[in-house]
Order: sequence, then C-alpha cells, then structure tokens
Amino acid sequence: MTAPLLETRGVWQRFGGLVANSDVSISVGRGEIVGLIGPNGAGKSTLFNLIAGVLPPTQGTIWFDGEDVTALPAAERCVRGVARTFQVVKSFETMTVIDNVIVGALMRNTVMRVARRKAHEVLEFCGLAARANVLASDLVPSEKRRLEVARALATEPKLLLLDECLTGLTPIEAQTGVELVRKVRDTGVTILMVEHVMEIVMPLVDRAIVLDLGKVLVEGKPKDVVRDPKVITAYLGDRHAVGA
Amino acid sequence: MDTDFANRRRRDLIVAFCLAAIAAVVPLFVKDVYVQNIMVLTLMYGALSQSWNILSGYCGQISLGHALYFGLGAYTTTILFTKFGVLPWFGMIGGGLISAVIAMALGYPCFRLRGHYFAIATIVIAEIALLLIQNWEWAGAALGITIPMSSDSWLKFQFARSKLPYFYFALGLVCVAWFVTWWLEDSKWGYWWRAVKDNPEAAESLGVVVFNSKMGAAAVSAFLTAVGGAFYAQFVSYIDPESVMGFHFSLLMALPAVLGGIGTLWGPMLGAVILIPVTELTRSFIGGSGRGVDLIVYGGLIIAISLARPQGLVSLFTPKRKEATR
Repeated sequence: MTAPLLETRGVWQRFGGLVANSDVSISVGRGEIVGLIGPNGAGKSTLFNLIAGVLPPTQGTIWFDGEDVTALPAAERCVRGVARTFQVVKSFETMTVIDNVIVGALMRNTVMRVARRKAHEVLEFCGLAARANVLASDLVPSEKRRLEVARALATEPKLLLLDECLTGLTPIEAQTGVELVRKVRDTGVTILMVEHVMEIVMPLVDRAIVLDLGKVLVEGKPKDVVRDPKVITAYLGDRHAVGA
Repeated sequence: MDTDFANRRRRDLIVAFCLAAIAAVVPLFVKDVYVQNIMVLTLMYGALSQSWNILSGYCGQISLGHALYFGLGAYTTTILFTKFGVLPWFGMIGGGLISAVIAMALGYPCFRLRGHYFAIATIVIAEIALLLIQNWEWAGAALGITIPMSSDSWLKFQFARSKLPYFYFALGLVCVAWFVTWWLEDSKWGYWWRAVKDNPEAAESLGVVVFNSKMGAAAVSAFLTAVGGAFYAQFVSYIDPESVMGFHFSLLMALPAVLGGIGTLWGPMLGAVILIPVTELTRSFIGGSGRGVDLIVYGGLIIAISLARPQGLVSLFTPKRKEATR
C-alpha cells in the first residue's frame, strides 16, 4: 500500500517550442480517485496521453506498479494494467456493443467463450446489458461513454484513466456516470480522471491535482483546492482572487 | 444472447456445408465444358476474394496489389516443377509460404502507411514485381513458361481431358478459404482485426498490438492467395507475367468482396457467383467488336451497388438489425 500505483517523475513534454508539461511529478495511490483538473491548455490531456503511453515524454520517467514504464507503448501498458477512455469517443463503430467489449476482454482471456462471458459481466456492471447486440454506431452519446468505460474495464485494469468521460452529459446522465465511477473504485480499481466540470469532480474525487501552464499548481483535498487563491486566479484571472 | 450467437455460427457452418454439397454434384449434370470452365473460375475467384477479404475486409488494409501473391504462387509452383521436378502439391505450399513471408517483409514498411497511401503502395509494389519478372530471363521473362503436359495425373495435378478435377480442387479451395475465415472470425485475431479496422488507436489502448495484427492478416491472406495462383497455373498450364500478375487480378480479387459485402463471411462468395459469370458471359457473347463491354457491365454493377447497398449484397439478407434497435 505504501508505494504509489502510478508516479510521474519530473516529466517534460515539448512540442517544438511549446512546453505542454514542465517538470510534472504526481503520484496516485492504490484505491484512490484522483482528479486532474485545470483550465484549457493546462497540459492535462498531454499528461494523460503520456501516462497512457500514446507518446513518450521528452524527459522524465513514468512508474507504474513499481516498474519504469516510460518506454513501453500503449498496448504494453494495457498488459501491465493501465486502461483508458478517450475524450472523443472511439468506439469500434461497425461492431456490436458486446463485440467492442470482447476486444478488451481478450486481453486477459484468449479463450473466446471466457472472453465473451467476461464481456457480458462487464456490460451488466456498466448498465449496458440491454444494448449488447446493438451496433456501437447506434448508441446515444452517454451510452458510448459508458461503452468506453466498459471496454476499458474488460481489460481488468489496476488503473483506469478517464478522459473527460462526464463532460457534455446531462445532469442526470452525469450523475449515473458518477455512480458508475464510484462502483468501479469499490471493485478495487484506482482511478485518475481528467475533468472540466468542477461541480461533478469535486465531490467525487479523494484528491485533486490542478495543472496550469503545464505545471502542477496545487494538489490536495478537493475542498481546499477550490478555495486556493492560485486556483481561482488560474481559472478566473487576478481580479477574482480575493485571497483565502 | 450467447446461444443466439452460437446458433448463428452453427447455422453458417451448416449452410456452407449444404452449399458445398450442392456445388459438388452440379458438374455431374452440367456437362458443357464451357460452363464448367466458368464454374471453375467462379470458385477460384471466390476463394481469392475470400483471402483478400481477410486482410482488406476484416483488417481494413485495402490491398490493390494482391496480384503479386497470386503471381508468386503461380511462378513458384511452375518454376519448381519445370526446373526442379518438384510436384505442384509441394509447390503450392512453397508458393504460399514464400508469399506469406514476402507479405510480411513488405508489410513491415507499408503498414506504417494508412488508408489510401497503403493502397497506393500495394499497387506500386505489385507493378514493380511485374516488371522484374518480365525482365528475368531465367524465369521465362515476358514469354512466360509452359508447363509440359504428359498424361492426366493427380500426382502432377494436370488433366487434359476433363475439367472436373480442377473443379473439385477449386471447390476445396473455396471451402478452405471460407472455413479459415469462419474460424478466424470468432477468434482473438478476428476481433483484433475488426478493432484495428475501426479504430487503431482505441485498439492499441486495449492491448492490441496493431502492427502485429496487420502482419498476421497479411500472412494468412497472402498464403491463401498464392495457393489460388498455383492452382491457376496448373489450370491454364501456361503462365506469363501479364497473365498471372496483371493489375486486373488485383481488381478481380477485390471486386467480388466489395460487391457482396466487404468484411463479411459470405460477401466474397456471393459477389463472385454474380460477378464472374456475368463477366465471362458478356465477354463471350458480346466479345469481338464489342470489346470492353464486360468492363462496362462490371463498372455499372459496382456503381449500382455502391449507391444502393454500400454494405454489399449480403446486407440484403440481414436487413433488420439496425432499424430494430432504433
């Protein structure tokens, strides 16, 4: 329990002259729900992609479960237990919902029958069982988000990375989403989520990390973070920083 | 739900078995050599299109250079037989293996390309191979190689008097290609391929090694295509570069699948059954002064299908799925 599940050590990411992440060191403990927040362009998505293994960092290392995974591609990290959803949903559109989830389930179960059963369980868990035989392209947006989560969960991850999976939903849909996230955590999966909508994230997460201009600005309990003058400045500008 | 799925799989298998059984007795009643010839070609293109469908339909890597593997199969068996006396049966397997290896060697750089760029690369590579063979004296160059005919023999797989052995071999080839597809469809590979086709990035995030998946599809597809090429060489007993490696072969492998339903189990066979007889018949009936009419018919069919049924003719048999869920 002592060693964090995920750790970034002095991570930098430069795109040409643009510094998207500078010297970011964060850690996520086992069983935590951590929110990664920050205004637009803060470098949240970049950091997220670095952790998921979409691209290697320019500098620094990423540690997962006591292992240096900096050089590993996304698929290898998935084998180690990192699963993710996408901000812009990337369902397998020509496949049915159940087939989408089977692709994820095949990661740990190569026997088709086992993978299929596993996929059904995950769909049940995510409340999509009734839609199992529908084409993914026929789902409504909130269902597609849940399918992303289901597919990721089917790989039996230790760490689930959620990229704005509650953004753009109606309040009721967002609320069921929040419940799903809690339910996932209760099964022992650690969660790191990027979110925009403060009202949703803050009650949900155990800890919030605020990024601004590519750096970690503040880190702490949600209720402390929202009152932090630096955070208010970052979001709303100097005029609104009325002090703690 | 699971039983639905299992039932559908079983039904496919039973239907395929029945169709194969019916096809097997047809030549006992149809004695006309010309019609038998068309049937052999239809089965062969069905098998080829089924093989093409594995890489381009399921895995989504549109290849317009499959003539290369077809030609490699044809040349390997023919050269092994005429120069080294190796029986065509071994030549077929050898040609298949060589093609699979070459498909992977070519895939290594080409699978980094996406979409149209990959398709263009496959055309160019096949054309280069065609030019190389045309200038390779030892392999017969542009003149080609004639396979010396002796007596009818299963051992040498050559028959002058009857088309029937070819027919049954082609039927067997179709069955093998179909069965391989059927089997792969509900395997780890089948799911990976479809995932790679739909969204490589999402597939990668779920632990699918996209590059290896494409390589696997290319190898299986090239192997089966080359066996088809080897068969064709035996069937016509004379090969030259243009007649086994020409660009039109690449198209003739792709079109039945596109017409019938790309990335489906039954699409390529259905497409071949419609397309190949139509081509052959228009060519022979209109032929002569009307050269090229078969190509017009062809083009017309493809346009009609892409406008009316972009998912292919197979979708006529499974129409309700989408609407029912709305």
